[in-house]
Amino acid sequence: MNLLKGTLDLLALKALAWGPMHGFEIASWLETRSDGRLNVVDAALIQSLHRMEERGLVKGEWGVTANGRRARYYTATAAGRAYLRTEGAQLADHVDALATILALRPSSR
Amino acid sequence: MRFGEIRRGVRRLMRLAIRSRHSARRDAEEELEAVLQAREEQLRALGYSEADARAEAVRRMGGTLDDVIDDVIQSAEHRERAMSIRETLSEFGDDIRISIRGLRRDALFAGFVMATLALGIGANAAMFSVADRLLLRGPSYIVNPNRVMRVYRHSTRPDGQQATNSSYGWVVYDILRSKTESFAGVAAYSIGGTNTFGRGANAELVNVGAVTHDFFALLGVRPEVGRFFNAVEDAPTAPQHVVVLGHGLWLRAFGGDPAVIGKTVTMSDETYTVVGVAPRGFTGPVLSPTDVWYPMSLRGAATTSRWTTAWNAQWLQIIVRLKDGVAPARAEHDATAAFRAGYTGTSSEDAGSTMTLGSLRSTPSGKESLEVTVSRWLVGVAAIVLLVACANVANLLLARSARRRRELAVRVALGSGRARLMRLVFTECVVLAAGGAVAGLLVASGLTTLMRAVLLPNVEWTASAIGWPILAISAAIAIVVAAAIGLAPALRAARPDLIESLKAGVRESGGQSSRLRATLTIVQAAVSVVLLVGAGLFVRSLVKVKSLDLGIQPDRVLVTRLHYPSHASVLSRGNGAEVTRRASVLESAMRRARALPGVEHASLTIGLPFQSAFGQKLRVPGWDSLPTLKSGSNPLIFAVGPDYFETVGGRILQGRGFAAADRRGSEPVAIVNQTMASILWRGRSPVGECLYWGLDNEPLTVCSRIVGVVANANNWRLREDPMFAYYIPFGQERGFGGATLVVRPRPGLETSVMTELRTMILDLDPAVSFVRTTRLQDEVDPQMRPWKLGATVFTLIGVLAMLVASVGLYSVMSYLVAQRTRELAVRIALGARTASIVSLVFRSGVGMVIAGVIVGTIVSIWAGRFLGPLLFDTSPRDPAILAGVGVLLIVVGILASVVPALRASQVNPADALRAE
Repeated sequence: MNLLKGTLDLLALKALAWGPMHGFEIASWLETRSDGRLNVVDAALIQSLHRMEERGLVKGEWGVTANGRRARYYTATAAGRAYLRTEGAQLADHVDALATILALRPSSR
Repeated sequence: MRFGEIRRGVRRLMRLAIRSRHSARRDAEEELEAVLQAREEQLRALGYSEADARAEAVRRMGGTLDDVIDDVIQSAEHRERAMSIRETLSEFGDDIRISIRGLRRDALFAGFVMATLALGIGANAAMFSVADRLLLRGPSYIVNPNRVMRVYRHSTRPDGQQATNSSYGWVVYDILRSKTESFAGVAAYSIGGTNTFGRGANAELVNVGAVTHDFFALLGVRPEVGRFFNAVEDAPTAPQHVVVLGHGLWLRAFGGDPAVIGKTVTMSDETYTVVGVAPRGFTGPVLSPTDVWYPMSLRGAATTSRWTTAWNAQWLQIIVRLKDGVAPARAEHDATAAFRAGYTGTSSEDAGSTMTLGSLRSTPSGKESLEVTVSRWLVGVAAIVLLVACANVANLLLARSARRRRELAVRVALGSGRARLMRLVFTECVVLAAGGAVAGLLVASGLTTLMRAVLLPNVEWTASAIGWPILAISAAIAIVVAAAIGLAPALRAARPDLIESLKAGVRESGGQSSRLRATLTIVQAAVSVVLLVGAGLFVRSLVKVKSLDLGIQPDRVLVTRLHYPSHASVLSRGNGAEVTRRASVLESAMRRARALPGVEHASLTIGLPFQSAFGQKLRVPGWDSLPTLKSGSNPLIFAVGPDYFETVGGRILQGRGFAAADRRGSEPVAIVNQTMASILWRGRSPVGECLYWGLDNEPLTVCSRIVGVVANANNWRLREDPMFAYYIPFGQERGFGGATLVVRPRPGLETSVMTELRTMILDLDPAVSFVRTTRLQDEVDPQMRPWKLGATVFTLIGVLAMLVASVGLYSVMSYLVAQRTRELAVRIALGARTASIVSLVFRSGVGMVIAGVIVGTIVSIWAGRFLGPLLFDTSPRDPAILAGVGVLLIVVGILASVVPALRASQVNPADALRAE
């Protein structure tokens, strides 16, 4: 499934609300929490994280994973959390509108 | 694992490692690989084979690895770039904060520096804003202005002297327009003079300019509203008279209403139709404002009826636009050839004229205009002040950096890099320069307003005193200043002898920097001397100019003229009754003026110094022909009323002035000036003798008996060679006319008398359309402007420079004392007397000033040769001024050294030595 750029940003920020994660952790968090319905394109996610770091929404630092590998950990900044609040609400509203329209049937009027 | 807020410094250290483009790439590759591996592990855990897991991981990455790696690297690089810029900015912000904190600890130092810079930067920004207008940009709205030139004519006078002129008759314009090939355009203008605009109580005087129809197109200006007039409207046969309004008048009289186009307006009681409005600040090829532009053909018709063919009527200036690719020299040749071929006049002098093209900035005689010369000087002098200010600030900074050696050494010891240290010191200079620039803007706005109003009143200023050019200039100066003053301290900071500095405390080590500082102080003193000598010379010139004996005292003389509707038509129709009526109105106006309580004297006169003069044929018994004076002027005749000499402040030397009984029909009498008396009567008293004057075609038979001799009065210039002048009673004149009412109000009542005169005259004759009253002094003042300008500017800037230099000397001396505390303490401990300590410090301070005075005096004497021509009756090497300035500087030097010297004597040896 292809996601819009902005949507992926918000989903990653949402994942980071649970705490610092590296790229793959975010991807698998999204896959697990969506019951496997969301399959993120890994490169797109990394680029999304880079973009958000540039905008100051997240902060990236090299760290070490539980099994001793180097990985780049991301943390949501205050600006990122604020962004998630406002843009997330808008997206939810938008999705609800889409769902309402798609649920319409010709006979229902 | 929770990443909390990481401290900036640590973060910066980590960031440093991945700053480069190369490392951003490596970073991205590593991150990609980490995700790929994690994904593979996940897939293998789900039961994928090694190869399948790899393939699936790559697929989940978004296609082939080659595809995605570039995208990821790009986003990483982009991020690094953006973040490193932010990082630099935040570091710069840190530097600025540190600098401000440091400067606040040393507020006196910072205050001195900023005030000094404010003066320097402010003076420069103000001067440049003036020069920008006068030297660089010139008049506004001229497209490609360096291709637009004024036509000058050079001829050789019969006496062999070269004459340069730029006044022509219409016929020359016509020749250049039709018989040359070098010009993309030829136009003529006659700007200057005033007309009454409107009627009755609302009438005002406006500046007018007559221009040919091709004038606007040549310059390239576009109208604000409407259009400019065309060839048909600029022809003697034009169906109606049209004008283009200046922007200022349009706003003033019509509230900027575009509907003014097509309306009729009244000017000098004639009716004109408005066809357009010129843009704001358009002044044509000159800098003075014009309110109404009207067709040249109307101006020509008012000059003489043969204006299209006359060679001897010269009233217009010609401008040309060179064709692309045509060199000025070729165009000059072309114009000269056309002029000589087309010349049909009678003057052999004119026939051989050579035409040249010159800058619009020059005056009609081809010289650089006064405003331009002055602004050139202003810029030069302001630059010198800025140099002095910079020298002073550099001096203060050097002293401070010497005092900070220990602090800087500590910073280095704590691990600050040399580059960082340099940047810190440099940032401090930037902060100081910025502060100075902001304060300088205030100085600049004040100075600009002052200069515009006082020094250059005849220039149309469109930009407000403090616009973006002045901001840009201040910023540019501040940057240059920061670089100039910051460089030396920054370089010094880069090579602190660490150990040496820590060991030595704040003591000055090495004589090199104190020599540098001494030199800077001497230079400042020298520059102050030069500027103050200039100020002294100009002030003395101005005093001399002001105390000139002009033969009259114009400072309290009001000149009143009455304007009537249709002046020209009444006279040309020979309406004798109206002419007589107007004369009697003027006569009653004079009598009523004399009766006003605020008026001392009033008189009527035909001809008035600095305003107008007439000549008639004159014969004096004993002379076949009158000797020609050096001035070359023909004898001038004035017809004056009984109270004239009292009114203008002339002095009767022998005999009497005119009485009420000397009038039309009474015995012809005359008064001659001193030059006439001494030359024509060879020193004998001419009183009682005859002179004969009359019109050209009359036999000179009527004796005018001379009743008095009056002191010579200047007629046109502050300094001029004497002329013959004689006076006849008002009413006895023939062949010339145009009476003026002159009034001498009581001191301090000029303004109220001006209003009273106006009301009284409008009351006397409702037909009068406008009463114009001016001060005679206003005719004289412009001639004093060069010296007034020089005196004002040099005094202002000279005093500024001296203040800056004395502040500099004081601070340098204070620092010197502070640094030598230990040495002085040792001396005192070893038994030096207070007096010897004081004189030790004192000698070095005053010594520097004396050195500066000597250098400055030598430079002043050398520079005198350039200043000489600008002075009035003053030698550029005036010893009194040179000596006076030298003494002044030395006194200032003594004052600036006294406090530090006394402080030095109060050093407590025990405290000072223990402090180390």
